[in-house]
Amino acid sequence: MDIRLRIRRFNPEVDQESYWAEYDLKDVQPVDRVLDLLEHVKGHIDGTLGLRRSCGHGICGSDAMRINGQNMLACKVLVRNLVQGDKGTIQVEPMLGLPVIKDLIVDMEPFFEHYRAVVPYFINDDPAPERERLQRPAERERFDEGTKCILCAACTTSCPSFWADRTYIGPAAIVQAHRFIFDGRDTAGDSRLAILASEKGVWRCRTIFNCTMACPREIPVTQLIAEVKKAIGKQKP
Amino acid sequence: MSTFIPTVRETFRYKGKEGQLAWIGHRLGGLGTLIFFIIHVVDTSWVYFWPQGYHHAIVLYRSWPFQIGELLLVLLVIYHGLNGLRITLMDWKPTLWRYQRQMTLGTFGLTVLFYIPAFIIMGSHALKNLLGIELF
Ligand code: SF4
Ligand code: FES
Repeated sequence: MDIRLRIRRFNPEVDQESYWAEYDLKDVQPVDRVLDLLEHVKGHIDGTLGLRRSCGHGICGSDAMRINGQNMLACKVLVRNLVQGDKGTIQVEPMLGLPVIKDLIVDMEPFFEHYRAVVPYFINDDPAPERERLQRPAERERFDEGTKCILCAACTTSCPSFWADRTYIGPAAIVQAHRFIFDGRDTAGDSRLAILASEKGVWRCRTIFNCTMACPREIPVTQLIAEVKKAIGKQKP
Repeated sequence: MSTFIPTVRETFRYKGKEGQLAWIGHRLGGLGTLIFFIIHVVDTSWVYFWPQGYHHAIVLYRSWPFQIGELLLVLLVIYHGLNGLRITLMDWKPTLWRYQRQMTLGTFGLTVLFYIPAFIIMGSHALKNLLGIELF
């Protein structure tokens, strides 16, 4: 296949504004991943291309980017999912809503700041039992979806509420909070709900579903957010 | 403004699916209704404060742009109401997310269905006002 790869590039040391760079790639296989194409460009055509990647297998969450206008992991999307026939164009851009550091690399710090805000770790100050804290399969199942999150930020940066207000805590942080709120062994659920009930919390969600569509782990993000909304609604005033 | 501009800009840059489209429609519907209400409250207050202005406004409402604008407004209001119900339903029953595409398309369809009678009634009035054509 012949693929024209258009990459939105920006080097803050040289460029005033971002621009499209185009690379014509030959002999692309339909089963090549977009990450393979980017690495080909970086390795053989222009070594200055900036991108983040680590595992290459959809586990680390470092290569979420906007591919043909939608957030995806470059390591998970195959060329044949984007281009039918034997030639076509693929556009790659950095995620929205986070400052671009260089080319496809965005500053993830504001995202992780929101993540930390929901106290995303297990809290239970009761004396630990002799062995593990037991849980029934159904209780474990209750928060299973949230455990799959790899913090790639595809959901948060696809959310119009987040584009409008970067202080909105965002879907990913809510998914993380959900994982602990609905874990019966954790005791800090109420304080997390209080954080999420604040002005920058779940009520900014407008049930648009961009996050659910974008999540590479197929987490029903909007469902989890709605469950947190309901949990807040059920709290005693 | 500081949030309006980036929101519009990023909306054009992100290729969301029907959910994003539904949200854009909802916002336009909300905005349209708000502007209509403001105009309506202001001109109605003129009955008391500025009667000539009120009569002038009534004449203005019979002009092309306003008659077409009103037709559009009704569409937006119907959509805004139905879509609001859909969102309420989805927030109330979170597992409905699986049917979000069908429900969104359904809302578009229902909007058109509810709009047809309104379009016929208001459209025939507009035709009479603007061109003097009587349909019914
Ligand atoms: S919920 Fe999904 S899209 Fe969001 S950060 Fe986690 S893995 Fe990424
Ligand atoms: S490189 Fe690790 S998720 Fe894609």
